[in-house]
Parts: sequence; C-alpha cells; structure tokens
Amino acid sequence: MHEYVLPFGPQHPALLEPLHIKLKVEGETIVGSDISLGYNHKGIEKSFENRWWAKGMYLSERVCGICGHFHTSTFAQGIENMLGLEVPERANYIRVLIGELERIHSHMLALGVVAYEMGLDTLFHYIFRDRELVMDLQELLTGNRVHFCMNVIGGVRKDINMENTRRVEENLEKIEERCHHYIKLFKNDATVKRRTQHVGFLSKQKAKELTPVGPNIRASGMDYDVRETGYFAYKYMNFKPITGEGGDVLERCVVRFKECIDSVRMVRKCLLEMPKGKVKVNVPPVVKIKEGLETVSRTEAPRGELIYYLKSAGDKPYRVKIRTPTYQTFHILGHILNGYEIPDVPVIIASIDPCISCADRMTVVDAGTNKERMVTMKEVRERRK
Amino acid sequence: MIEILFQMLVFPGLAAAFAIGFLYQGIERKVSAHAHHRIGPPVWQPFMDWVKLMSKENIKPKHGIGFLMTLCPIISFASLLTVILFIPIGNFVLFSFTGSLFVVIYFLVMYSVFYAFAGFASGNPFGYVGGIREIMQIVSYEFPFIVSLLTIGFLTNFRVVPFLSLEFPFALFAFLAGVLGKLCLPPFHIPEAEQEIVAGHLTEYSGPRLAMFGLSKAIGFWVLVSLGAVYFLGANGLISFFACSLVILAVLIIIRTLFARLRISQAFRLYWFVIGPLAVIDLVRVIVGFY
Repeated sequence: MHEYVLPFGPQHPALLEPLHIKLKVEGETIVGSDISLGYNHKGIEKSFENRWWAKGMYLSERVCGICGHFHTSTFAQGIENMLGLEVPERANYIRVLIGELERIHSHMLALGVVAYEMGLDTLFHYIFRDRELVMDLQELLTGNRVHFCMNVIGGVRKDINMENTRRVEENLEKIEERCHHYIKLFKNDATVKRRTQHVGFLSKQKAKELTPVGPNIRASGMDYDVRETGYFAYKYMNFKPITGEGGDVLERCVVRFKECIDSVRMVRKCLLEMPKGKVKVNVPPVVKIKEGLETVSRTEAPRGELIYYLKSAGDKPYRVKIRTPTYQTFHILGHILNGYEIPDVPVIIASIDPCISCADRMTVVDAGTNKERMVTMKEVRERRK
Repeated sequence: MIEILFQMLVFPGLAAAFAIGFLYQGIERKVSAHAHHRIGPPVWQPFMDWVKLMSKENIKPKHGIGFLMTLCPIISFASLLTVILFIPIGNFVLFSFTGSLFVVIYFLVMYSVFYAFAGFASGNPFGYVGGIREIMQIVSYEFPFIVSLLTIGFLTNFRVVPFLSLEFPFALFAFLAGVLGKLCLPPFHIPEAEQEIVAGHLTEYSGPRLAMFGLSKAIGFWVLVSLGAVYFLGANGLISFFACSLVILAVLIIIRTLFARLRISQAFRLYWFVIGPLAVIDLVRVIVGFY
C-alpha cells in the first residue's frame, strides 16, 4: 500500500485550535508525523514589556481562557517574591480554592472533548452538562464564570461570596458522584474501553526521557506535581500526587477524573479551614521593583507545570517569558502517534489536553519558496523599521 | 396506468419517500438530541437543509472528476428509489415476483458503492480515506446483512412480502447492525467520521450534489426502516406498517446514542466474527428446517 500525507489541521473539525500535523499514513496506519506550529501568535510576551506590573495581571489572565487564574497566580507569585511581600493566609486559601475549581472545569472540558473525539456525543454532552455545576460555583463564589480577575499583587481582589454555602456543598457532592460514575464508565463501557485502552501508550521510561508535564506524565507512573512543594495554601492540604500506571489514553482520562475528585476534597477543606482576616496587602498602584531583579515562579496548572520567568525594569517588566504546560507536552505527540491508526489520532491529541493558543510562537512561511522558518526577536525589530 | 404512476411518483414512491424520509431523519435527530440533553433542531431541519443546499452553487474542486461527482449522487438516489417499488408498504407494491429480494439486495449495494466512489471522484485525501473506509465497511456489513435477508428469503420464496420472523432473533439483530452500517450511524459512522477525516467521502461536496446525497440518505432511512418493518416485523396494512417502522427507528436511535465510534478494524472483526456467525445460525436453522 502506498504512503500518503494526510493533513491534520490547522483547520479541522477535531482540532478547535490551530495546530498543523502532517501525518504520513499507510492505509490507516500512521508511520510518521510532523508537527508545525505558528498559526496563532498573540505577541503577549512583548505586550507585557510596556505595561505596569499591576496591569500585566489582566494581560496574563488572557493568555488562556481556561486556566487564566493559574496564569495570574503565577505572575503574582513572581512579583510578590521579588517584592518580598507576605500574602495574607486567607488570600492564599482563596487562590487555592478558585484554582481547584478551575482545575475541575478544565479537566471536565478536556474529558468531554476526548468523548467527542471518540464519536460518543452522548458522553460529551453529559460531561459538559456536569461541567456547568462547576461553572455555577465559580459564578456564585467570584461573580464570573470565566476570567475571575481574582488575583492582584499582594492577595486577592475581593473576598469570596460565602452566603450560599449549602448550594456549594450540593454542587460539590454532585460533581464528586458524577466523577466516580465516569471513572466506572470509562473503565467498563465496551466501546469507550476499546477506543481508549492501549492507545497512545507512553511508557514510564519514555516519559522520563520526553518529560511531558501534568496528568500526562502522572498517568505514566511518575509522581511529578508542583503542588507538592506547598506554595500558597497547598502546604495545609495533605496533598499527594495522583498517579496511574497504564500510560494510555484511558489512564490519562482516569487520572484527570481522580484529580477532579481530589480537587473537590481540597475545595471542601479550604472552605472549612479558611482563616478570617484581610485578603490583600495594600500596595501602591504603580509597583516599583529594583531594576535587573529576576525570578522564576511556577505553579501546577490543570495541564501541568506553568513557569513564568520575570525580569524587572523598574515599574515595568524587562522580560516576561511564559512556559505553558502544553509547550512542554506536545512534542510527545511525535512519539505516541506512531503505529496507531487514523481514528486514534484525534483521541490521542485530545488526551494530552493541548492548549495550542497558550503555547504558540511565531513562524513565517515564505510563499515564494514555500519554506518555513522561525523569526527571532531581532529580525522582527528590523522588519518593523 | 394511473395507479402505477401514482405508486411510482406519490405513494410509496418519490413524494412519500421524500417527505417521510426527511421526517424520519428529523425524528432521529430530534430524539437523539433529547437523549444528549439538548433541544435539537426542529424535525423539518433536514428538509430545510436540503432546500438551502439545492439553491447553492455547484463547485467542482480542481482535482475532482466533475462528471463522476454528479453521477454518484444521482445513481445512489435512483437505486434507493427503485428499491421502494419492491417493498410492500401498506398494500401498495409495484413489483412482486419470485426472486425480487435479489433485486433489492443489488440496488442496496449499488447505493453504498456509489457512496464510496463519490469519495474517490472528489480528488481529496479525506475523500480518498472516506472512500476506502466505505468500501471496507461494505465488505464488513454486507455479509451479515445479506445472510439475514436470505434467512427470511428462504421462507418467502425470495419475495419481499410481509413476514413476521420473531423466531429468528439473530437475523433481526444482524439486519439492524447492517442498517446501522449502511446508514453510517454510530457506532459505524466510520466513513464520515468528522473528528478524523472531516466529512469523509463528502468533504468536497457542496450545493446540489451534497443535497442529492442528503436526499438519498433520507430515503435510505425510509427504505431500510420499511424493509425491516415489512420483512422482519410483518407489517401488513398502513397503520401496522407505520407502527412497526417507528419501532425499528426507535431501536436505531437507542443504539446510536449508546456507543462510541469503532475503528474500522474493530468494526470489521465485529461484523465477521460476531454478527456474521450469529446470522448464519439462523440461516442454517431455516435450511435444515429447525424452527
């Protein structure tokens, strides 16, 4: 059978984000893949450099629509480290609480997409219906469904709304019950199991070499989770990373559901043990940080370890470098796609939960010679002139 | 003469197939939407889609073969329309003779084969993969499907007449599985899996050509559901016919909301090693007279 190239993306019904994969296919089996990025450059890192620190918070929330709270948390943590600010305990608890709620809704979105890629629309709609429970909670506690803008330098913007704790508890109970149900479903349903078990396998050894982050590496048996370091209020949460042994799509899904259940536990603990008091330290609107000071701040976003590198230029950053979890993860696709069939491609891609628009950098395609190449910052400056 | 023309053009021929086919497809969409906790489109949505597509421009892709791209939808539409004349719906039947079952089987295969050719004719890699998958699927489901029809055929002199065959549950099961494969319904919507190969063989189709494929799929619903109602549930007379056909439709909808899409290799194995042998059991029972 002759080999042909099947384009996958950048516009494809299975991929709602602009990722382009050239699949080398023999019949239905994939023999090679070539991933190219560069369709979505927002220039967000550059934009940080002409904003004050406080205004950068709003920009960093816009890096991602799903895990915006983690971006602001990481950014704020970096600034607070450079300033040497002590954040009030209540603010730390609120950051954890909102973050864990956001993790549940991000995981549920990813799992719903996996179900959709399998062609099981019923499960997709059910998971998305249950995701609404978390969205409602977020609205109840912060006022917004997405982009809560809760973090500010030195704490959180406002206290959470604690009026309707009964409804919070009801919703958390429902989410927990549904997650248990879905774990059972993924492990036992005949067609779901057939589509996910032994698909997209990543062994522990290979995971060590390729170092993806987040649930992808934990499903391969490595217990790597930044939350273990105990930033914010995680030190009080008795947190243990959730790992799985399978390393396939099924295991990644199950690990995500288990993390959702663990997040529910942590949200409950936060609500119960949250100390009373101030939620932020007052800082001047234009924060000044000593020039040349630099720091690395990291948190565990739903997709894995999120890193911000910050270097100060006084009242503005000199450089902000964001390493999103997907950037560290998506090169494993080249390994886990090989040898599987075309029907497995969307399922495998969805199972690593990529967020392309967070991770993408710029490429220029020369239409004349049809060559692609990366453009350095220096060249961009020269082109601008 | 007028009676024949009425049967061909109005009931159960063109007009009825057109109306009821779209209605059944609409019901299928609406009910499965409710099963998904959605509201779903109104039941006349497939018809509205058809009207809109018919009014659109006919675009031929650069590498497509325009002649074949026009021919495929027309032939698959015409072959299904022919099948209707062989199925006794109510008391209307135009052709009924010994061996008419083979004509029905022949035209039903024609419909699927030209569906696959449509993919090859469009000159698109997704269409190409969709075509291969459709051919693979035909090879898989035709065996149990034909065996299930032949089981009843032995008892009815290979004529399509109302026949209640509940003592052959495996044949009915194989028939339903074959219908799912033929209509590309889950778990066998492999040739047009939108998450994998965009729209499969229909990727490059637009305007009236796509509309004709939509129409032939709607008529496929009507034809296959009526075939099941008549040949397996023994629908005799109009009221019992519609009741039986809605029962078959309900079963199809339940199956389609329950399962994820299989891989083509898994579907092949399922049809040949699970459903096929089951269908053969009933065929053997009929041949040796053990029922």
